[in-house]
Amino acid sequence: MLKDISLGRFYPAESPLHRMDPRAKILATLVLMVLVFLANNVWSFVAYGLFSAFCIALSRVPPIHVFKSLKPILFLIVFAFLLNVFSGKGDAIFTIGPVSATWEGLWTGLRMAARLILLITTSSLLTLTTTPILVADAMERMMKPLQKIGFPAHEMAMMMSIALRFVPTLVEETDKIMKAQSSRGADYDTGGILRRARGLVSVLVPLFIGSFRRADELAVAMEARCYRGGEGRTRLRVMKTAGRDYAAFAVVLAFSAVVVWLEFLRFA
Amino acid sequence: MPDFITVQDAVFEYLRPESTPVRAVDHVDLSVAQGSHVAVLGRNGSGKSTLARLINALELPLEGTVVVAGFDSQAEGSAWEIRQRCGMVFQNPDNQIVGTTVEEDVAFGPENLGVPQPEIRRAVDEALAAVGLSEYAVRPPHLLSGGQKQKLAIAGILAMKPRCILLDEATSMLDPVSRRDFMDMVIDRVRRDGITLVNITHHMEEAVLAEDVVVLSQGRVVAHGTPADVFEAVAEIRAEGLDVPAHMEIAHRLAESLGATLVHGETETPAKAVDAVIRVLAESKADRSERFSSETAAAAAAPAARHAGAFTIDPTDILIDVKKLDFTYLKGTPFSNRALEEVSFQVRRGEILGIVGHSGSGKSTLVQHLNGLLRSAPGVVTVLGLDASRGGDIRAIRQKVGLLFQYPEHQLFEETVRGDIAFGPRRMGLPEEEVEARVLEAAKIVGIAEADLDRSPFELSGGQKRRAAIAGILSMRPEVLILDEPAAGLDPAGRDEILSYVSSLRDHGATLVLVSHSMEDVARLADRVLMLDHGRVAAFGDTRDVFSDEATLERAGLSLPASTAFLKRLALHLPGLDTARFTAAAAATAVLAAAGAAPANGNGGAAC
Repeated sequence: MLKDISLGRFYPAESPLHRMDPRAKILATLVLMVLVFLANNVWSFVAYGLFSAFCIALSRVPPIHVFKSLKPILFLIVFAFLLNVFSGKGDAIFTIGPVSATWEGLWTGLRMAARLILLITTSSLLTLTTTPILVADAMERMMKPLQKIGFPAHEMAMMMSIALRFVPTLVEETDKIMKAQSSRGADYDTGGILRRARGLVSVLVPLFIGSFRRADELAVAMEARCYRGGEGRTRLRVMKTAGRDYAAFAVVLAFSAVVVWLEFLRFA
Repeated sequence: MPDFITVQDAVFEYLRPESTPVRAVDHVDLSVAQGSHVAVLGRNGSGKSTLARLINALELPLEGTVVVAGFDSQAEGSAWEIRQRCGMVFQNPDNQIVGTTVEEDVAFGPENLGVPQPEIRRAVDEALAAVGLSEYAVRPPHLLSGGQKQKLAIAGILAMKPRCILLDEATSMLDPVSRRDFMDMVIDRVRRDGITLVNITHHMEEAVLAEDVVVLSQGRVVAHGTPADVFEAVAEIRAEGLDVPAHMEIAHRLAESLGATLVHGETETPAKAVDAVIRVLAESKADRSERFSSETAAAAAAPAARHAGAFTIDPTDILIDVKKLDFTYLKGTPFSNRALEEVSFQVRRGEILGIVGHSGSGKSTLVQHLNGLLRSAPGVVTVLGLDASRGGDIRAIRQKVGLLFQYPEHQLFEETVRGDIAFGPRRMGLPEEEVEARVLEAAKIVGIAEADLDRSPFELSGGQKRRAAIAGILSMRPEVLILDEPAAGLDPAGRDEILSYVSSLRDHGATLVLVSHSMEDVARLADRVLMLDHGRVAAFGDTRDVFSDEATLERAGLSLPASTAFLKRLALHLPGLDTARFTAAAAATAVLAAAGAAPANGNGGAAC
């Protein structure tokens, strides 16, 4: 039963972060992402870490879920850390063969690792508290001004939304095709790479042909329901920016000011 | 009532590269009154879907005119006006849902029309309530059942406040129970709101609900009238490859073999048909003579002949033995779902075993255990002496047990039909000559011409594609062949054709397991029937016993085969009538036998 796959990693809960206007959330996340690259001294990192912890607590998403998003890039974090530790200049702590670890390298490595960790946890809070479709919707609305210079904001959002709609259907279909081909002796798990790749052909061809057929039928069905592009369309879902969204954004800006102060003014 | 739709002398052709255009609609005239209910019947390819597209301005006529709600579909901008007033539901429930949640999908139409937000909200809530999906408003649509998805599609149209609904084979992918449920809901709704309904279908049980029936064949209207007018021409409708309601067909066959004539409208409903049969029998009794006995003897002989070549099945020769099979999806999670509970049954060599059950009763899950696609559940599955439940040589099992999924033509992938049929034998590592021989053999059984073997499977027609897919399993020469809804989505003639191949496979020595929603199909073909209900065995035994037990069928959410249901009504007047007859011919013979109007026929048990 592949029916229960969830898209993105949205974690349903009742929290101020879940309720926040997705546009404000996206903007705030962008500000925080830029900010993490400004952070350089230990105090900024501590402040940023505390602020992230505060946001996680506010979101009511179990911290373990937030940290799970680090898993795919764990290797990158460790690699970046080690690379920095062993490539810094200065006094050696210890030496292995031709390379030696330095205090300066260790400090740079730690900063690099912290930056990556904070970047990922902060941005994953956006996807954990906002459904993918809301993100797409918010992007469409935010990019609407760009439509004047020919940017297809509505079309992009419609594509994204249809893709989200059809992913579970296609996953189900893939499962069905694989089972049917297995019944005819197809084997996806043994043999060399070439053999396995050939096995995939027997799945991908019907899957693609099926997708084209679906696309065709869907296009007709959309036309029959009077779809003719973004012009003149209204929406069921309203996005209202409430006072609390401005307040939240103000908090993020205030926090940014603190980081800037810690970085550039305090020790100036 | 003014006409809502007027089609006048319409012609439409599909252009095909490098070949002559195909004429799909050929000088059709049709008018549909505001608020009426019209059924358009016809085989696949008869032009009925094209007609629907012409009405909805998705296609424009080559000749003639189509006027809907006063708008000529060829006029500038009228497509938009027509589609606002005339919503359309398509065949495949999955391929017409746009939204990522139920309510967003319903809102899609009103959003396109630019309806202000508060009104959309109201329209969406009303439409969802009307189709009974309110509690699913924020669900992602892929978690709905097929029947619910089609209701969602109707809700999407109701939210646009239409004056007409076009159903383009909207129920053809649904099981009989969901189909009835869906049609009841739609008809109730359109009556209440005075919406015009045009239902394009090949199901006669839907057509009899309409006020007006139009039969299309090769793009032309060949019959038009009330359901009674159209279906009383039993022979003509049959010749069109369509079904006739069981009560009408049985009564007409009976009258024919007794040389009696029926009055127009006399068989309109099952209750009326019972009276008609009693009348005809009484009249013939008064004037019974040798004249009829030769004809009735011939009628009696026909079904018997079909069974003359039947196999003798050895009840101890067990090919598949399933013991206490138990299966739970996503065990240990909040989504866990027990699909099978202690299922036990056996498949005997040479038999046709039917598996019936409502949607979600565990039929598909069960058959996937028979060739090791699902394994390691509690319970034991033994296939030809091999353990299919765990351990065991899975490749050997899959060669011996062929499994054909629903809509198998969607799984074709090779460049040629030949290559596709050869896939299985090649994977078995057979020498090339042997592979070739098997391809030819399999193609012959399903009736694919040798010339078609080198064509791309995607160039074939729908029915031929399905035959190619069946050949792809036959070429592995499985000892047991499991068919999951082999006739799904086909029109009645296509269904009869596929089912006749299926039953002929037995002559090639195969044992068959037939999974189907259609009680009629299973009743006609199967020797024994396994009935599932919520993952449990509700009944398991000889076909005539299982299909005589109305109470158990009803508990499992199923119904009697149509012929048996009618015979049961008749049996109230004809004591001793054998109701376990599943074709119109066999049913008519049984009625004659019970009424003492026919020579005694010796074939008491054979159900066909």
